[in-house]
Amino acid sequence: MYVKLLMRFISISLLFVLFTLPVLAQTKIITGTITDSTGTGIAGVSVQPKGSKTGTQSQADGSYKITVSPNTSTLSFSYVGFNDKDVSISGKTVVNVSLTINNTSTIGEVVVIGYGTVRRKDLTGAVSSVKAKDFNQGVIAAPDQLLQNKVAGLEVTSNSGQPGAATTIKIRGNSSIRASNNPLYVVDGVPLDGRSARPSISLGNNGLGFGTTPESNPLLYINPNDIAQIDVLKDASSAAIYGSRGANGVIVITTKKGLSGPPKLEFGTSFGVAGYMKKYKVLTGDEYRTAQKKYGIDTFKFDQGGNVDALKEIAQHKLSENYSLALSGGNENGRFRASFLGSSTAGLIKKSSLDKYIGSFTGQYKFLDQRLSIDFGLIAAHYTENLSNVSNTAGSQGNLVSAALIWNPTAPFYKNGKYLLNSNGVANPLAISDAFNDVSNVNTFLANISAGYKLLKNLEYKFLYAINHGTGDRKINIEGFLEGFPNLSGQGYGIIGNAALTSQTFTHTLNYRTNISKSLTMEALGGYEYWKTNYANASIAASGFNINLDQSNRINIPYTSILQNAKTQYPYLPFVDPTVELQSYFARINFNLLDKFLLTGTVRADGSSKFGKNNKYGYFPSVGAKWVISNENFMKNSAVFSNLGLRGSWGLTGNQEYPAGASQEQFGLSSYNTAGQTIVANPNLKWETTSAFNIGADFAFAKGRLYGSLDYYNKNTKNILFQTNSIQPAPNSIYFINIPANLINSGFEFALGANVINKTNLTWDVNFNISYNKNLLKNFYDINTGLPLTIQTGTIDGQGVSGTLSQVITNNQPVNEFNLKTFNGFDASGNQKINDAPTYAGDPNPHVIGGFSTTLRFKKFTFGLNTGGAFGYMIYNNTATSVTNINGITSGRNIDAEAFKSTEGKSSGASASTRFLEKGDYVKLRNATLRYEIGNVGKYVKTLTCFVSGTNLFVITKFHGFDPEVNVDKTSNSYPSRSIEYIPYPTPRTVSFGLNFAL
Amino acid sequence: MTRYKIITYFFLSFFIMIAGCTKLDENLESTLTSSQASSSLGASGTALLLKAAYVDLANPLSAQDKLFCLQENTSDEALTVTRGGDWDDNGVWRVLHNHTWDANHQYVLDVFNSLNKLNFDATNVLAFNPTKPQAAEAKFLRALSLYYLLDLYGQYPFRNPGDNLLNAPQVKSGADAINFIISELTAALTDISATNNNTVANADAIRTLLMKCYIQKGAFINRLTPTFDPADMQQVVTIGTAIINSAKYSYTPNYFDNFSVDNGTKSKEGIFVYPNQSGVSINHAGIEARWNMTLHYNSYTLYNPNAGWNGFATVSDFYNSFSSTGVTTFSPADTLLDQRIGGRPFAGVTNLSGIKPGLLVGQQFNENGVAEKDRKGAALSFTPQIAADMKETGSNLEVTGIRIVKYPPDLTDNGKNYQSNSGNWLMIFRYPDVVLMVAEAKMRTGDAAGALTLVNGLRIARGAAPMPSMTLVNTSNVSDPNTLLAERGRELYWENVRRTDLIRFGVFTKPWSLKPTDDVKNLVFPIPNQALAANPNLKQNKGF
Repeated sequence: MYVKLLMRFISISLLFVLFTLPVLAQTKIITGTITDSTGTGIAGVSVQPKGSKTGTQSQADGSYKITVSPNTSTLSFSYVGFNDKDVSISGKTVVNVSLTINNTSTIGEVVVIGYGTVRRKDLTGAVSSVKAKDFNQGVIAAPDQLLQNKVAGLEVTSNSGQPGAATTIKIRGNSSIRASNNPLYVVDGVPLDGRSARPSISLGNNGLGFGTTPESNPLLYINPNDIAQIDVLKDASSAAIYGSRGANGVIVITTKKGLSGPPKLEFGTSFGVAGYMKKYKVLTGDEYRTAQKKYGIDTFKFDQGGNVDALKEIAQHKLSENYSLALSGGNENGRFRASFLGSSTAGLIKKSSLDKYIGSFTGQYKFLDQRLSIDFGLIAAHYTENLSNVSNTAGSQGNLVSAALIWNPTAPFYKNGKYLLNSNGVANPLAISDAFNDVSNVNTFLANISAGYKLLKNLEYKFLYAINHGTGDRKINIEGFLEGFPNLSGQGYGIIGNAALTSQTFTHTLNYRTNISKSLTMEALGGYEYWKTNYANASIAASGFNINLDQSNRINIPYTSILQNAKTQYPYLPFVDPTVELQSYFARINFNLLDKFLLTGTVRADGSSKFGKNNKYGYFPSVGAKWVISNENFMKNSAVFSNLGLRGSWGLTGNQEYPAGASQEQFGLSSYNTAGQTIVANPNLKWETTSAFNIGADFAFAKGRLYGSLDYYNKNTKNILFQTNSIQPAPNSIYFINIPANLINSGFEFALGANVINKTNLTWDVNFNISYNKNLLKNFYDINTGLPLTIQTGTIDGQGVSGTLSQVITNNQPVNEFNLKTFNGFDASGNQKINDAPTYAGDPNPHVIGGFSTTLRFKKFTFGLNTGGAFGYMIYNNTATSVTNINGITSGRNIDAEAFKSTEGKSSGASASTRFLEKGDYVKLRNATLRYEIGNVGKYVKTLTCFVSGTNLFVITKFHGFDPEVNVDKTSNSYPSRSIEYIPYPTPRTVSFGLNFAL
Repeated sequence: MTRYKIITYFFLSFFIMIAGCTKLDENLESTLTSSQASSSLGASGTALLLKAAYVDLANPLSAQDKLFCLQENTSDEALTVTRGGDWDDNGVWRVLHNHTWDANHQYVLDVFNSLNKLNFDATNVLAFNPTKPQAAEAKFLRALSLYYLLDLYGQYPFRNPGDNLLNAPQVKSGADAINFIISELTAALTDISATNNNTVANADAIRTLLMKCYIQKGAFINRLTPTFDPADMQQVVTIGTAIINSAKYSYTPNYFDNFSVDNGTKSKEGIFVYPNQSGVSINHAGIEARWNMTLHYNSYTLYNPNAGWNGFATVSDFYNSFSSTGVTTFSPADTLLDQRIGGRPFAGVTNLSGIKPGLLVGQQFNENGVAEKDRKGAALSFTPQIAADMKETGSNLEVTGIRIVKYPPDLTDNGKNYQSNSGNWLMIFRYPDVVLMVAEAKMRTGDAAGALTLVNGLRIARGAAPMPSMTLVNTSNVSDPNTLLAERGRELYWENVRRTDLIRFGVFTKPWSLKPTDDVKNLVFPIPNQALAANPNLKQNKGF
């Protein structure tokens, strides 16, 4: 109520201000041409009266025409890649301008913040921007990969090598122990739901032991070529405008728009092939024979004489193809851009791929003497994922990768034209690959339309409506000819899943700017937003089919086409999430005193249907200030600094990523005519609050050739969302509460860029960032009893280690601290000596992450590379614990090369201990790209460029698994895990070749 | 300017109007709130809630890692052997057998939670205007959950229907706790429908649980030195004799027909059962765990290679207790003709898989009589000797330990129901338990002859020789075959009663095979730390 009144008050006040302002009747017209240093006209340059946000753009030939008020004294000219320029117009009607190329600093950039933009130099918060020219190159399935290692404090971890798999994204550490740590994504002003419409299906039910497949990336429907800029809102003062969804940071994606000028057509294509970046080392056939003798088990006659490499056999080297087309054009009153992407990415593992078809269309049109602007965008995408049998939670029977790892390297894969089944219980990896089909199709569209109306020169109203709808279907067939799998062999298994995700946004904003005095300007924003999302999924499974049960008589009919034929029909399982509604009011005010002192304040009131009825609204204020020292008189002529600013900010943000419906008592209607209460109601349930402060400095030396920023932050998350143990007797073992613990993340971020060489024929740019984060959970006590809480998570899977949990969330430790029994070497008979009591054994959260990228251009050659690394953390190698452990050799399985080298005896057991905790430190060459610009060819082909690019070329690490950049989802009881490797989809190394040109 | 003014007013009033358009009431879409549940489901809703409480029985009572492992692995009848790389599971099984568990033990927690789920769902029925017979069923189910909780943890949390779930419930323990269960059962017995069959709460099931309460009462009140009130013993005799005399139940001619896939029709002994249906996944208890947990990976390879989990076993002392002398040569012939030791062909199972129900020792054969091999190619021949620390590391690690197949595997439909959705009904209360409780109560009140008659009646039905004499228990040899305790073991092994029996007979903390020492604190499990942290009314048991 209070908020509603406040909003009305603001609106009415604005109305009052509006009609008391003097009417400006007279105007003045300025014309001219904008050129680059060679005298060529530049199209699309923004021309604005200084201090104004409105203006025009130059035509294709560089000419422009602008109508300004008579008291405008200066025009500002700006264009991406060029230095901004202010030119006095007093007494002139024709103003010609020459812009100089800006290779260096980012000071003139426009930064996209929530519901608006600011110039970087006016920014009071910690926001990192990455523009298209600085994006990661190489194989990019989704936009988050464009940012890997580009932004200090942003950690993007590829969870799986499967093309299109989700990544783990953390901005400034873990700010939640339970809720999702993923940031909020905002695409062209539209906040996304963050989930994918690909049906999530577990193959761990109905007696199967394969577990769940890694999640799909929720941003697959965005064409990476369409993105102009990504802004990462890191501190609370920047993210607070997004209120209860801002605590994990916000990633704002801005798509490319058409430019004024004649139609332009851009075309690009590339082809690539994948291989292993790093293989997990198991014994070769010859080593295996040696091992048989070493362990005295050659009498068992496991040696079948061959020498095979199962990891090699399950891989494929298929060609990936990528075609993109973009068409754009427009004039002063209307611009458009249309783009198309068709790509087929073959996975490293056989039968895995990601095929995408994406079309997008955006337009910006102006009416009523440019008072009314209509912007729209439409993305329509279809993508198909072929998934391999690689899951996060495979039980003792393992998955395709484990089958390949432990396959007897002396055994052939085929015998008499059929797949050989070894008697040792190891499934034939090629048979698994052949028998397993998992295909999902997702159709998604994201449409938005916004109308802006300039009520007055300095007052603009804007309305935005957006809808994001995705539907997915997924069909999994596992043929019954596959031998050795309980509940599957001789039966076959089919499952069909469907999912639909719809979210809608309505936003109204009013933006007002004024010069309060000559030296003080003010900009105010007020808004209302309504956001709603629905998610539903369903699946149906069956087993016990009558075809494809033996290898010799297979036919090409999937079980999912004849599901009704199966003997065992599992019931149809629909699931509909409670609708989530968010209703928000927000306001922001900026003051600028003499371009020296900047102050920003924001507030958002968020009401959410998820919150308990006693806590429907949360309030999220923030404040940020900046002192631009370099604009002070005493610094203006500094030979050292070309820019120096000090920033400080504080704010509150929230996190409401917990299951919808958690605040209400719920009765579920279940199978077999049963009903029962499923959820304990908590009417006080609310958002998690993060209060954070940030102090930072932006600097540029040597005329902007060396620039960077330094930030220190401290985030304190309170009212932690926690699924506590229900007080038994209870309908469920857990329910959600907010507990008054503190989760603290603090750290430094440092980013540095240098334009080392800037000559006509030779340029060399270097960018470097490093960040340090420390994570600690404090005051973590049970609210009923005051006893310290310990949550166990980090499931260790595999034969012999069932029920083992490797990580804890507990007081005075970082989240997910490893808690393992200590390994003390081997005893005389080669058995492991392991202490009984587990101890805190290491932090799985990287303390230091960093990135280094460089671009070297010599004449028409450009060479760029991007490396990244993470340091100061531990990885648990669950693969070595329970898949490739030494004991396997006694039943004819292959074993870890490391175990073979050790003094471990052949009958040593499988148990989780610090033995398998390894240092994760790594440096990875993510990408290296060499481009050659052939230039214009003939009359029509322009800027023809060809390139060769390598992705994941190598990794330097002591970790002996597939990839130290690993985070297989080993969640227990919905508490997330961190840095555990368990038979993952291996990381591919890809080499691709391509060319681009424009017409 | 007028035009702009109008447009401006229009937009601003729209802007103000649109604000506050939703009340943010959350629609649950696929679930109901409690008020919706009571109004929309009406009277039939109570039946659905009651059904949910029945389904709560399935997992805790049949899975190997629930009640079974707390009742059997902690006893002289069962253990899970760590076999090289298999069944270490962070030591969770070994601590159960050697009595070194603590308040963080996963299964001690899981059982506490799953029994309390039954406790909650049964209580919830009472909040939804049940009919009298429905209330009687709910009270029985709740009493069953409270009985197990009291037996395992020495106390139980208790809520009244409609209690606020955010408040800590009261806790009952000792005499107060057992008397409440008895009073609830007595009330339920008056209202229970006479037509209820043995797949739901019925009068004889209530009577059987009452007998269990009366016979165990002394142990619930004082576990260290239980005393048995003659009045309680008389209750056991009276109620049990009435059940026997009703002639509704009789000994099934073939012992393993009580557990086979067609035990729903063949068994005459089921007083309270959980029905499963072959090939049907819903309302299914997961009974197949009972053979998979013990059988070897290669035990049945025709359609189910790798099906067995090769974990659970028993010790030779238990095997020997089938012999009147307590010494055997590990051959069923040696134990007279007692059907219950098994090892004999069973129609519909042995001819299809080679598996013989009962206690398995020595060479195993497949359906064609061919000797089976383990994964190394060595003979699949189960041996009684188990490593002292329960960690097998030798080349025989796959075959150590005598195995027990109490439920003959479901091999219907070409063995497709062997691994999941098996159709054997779970026996929760069985008639011989009633007979043996009556015999025990008679012995505890001086009627040794009457007791022996009942016990020998059972033994004859099982093909075993009558015992000339019998004592209750031999406190210096838990496995002494000529005791009532041993007879309970031979009849009811792996049926979730052994730990309770051992406590009642005063021998639970005696040493036995692979459990050299003990502590009296283990007579009751610790309250799981998680539960303790949530409910301040729970008090940790002494010694933990």
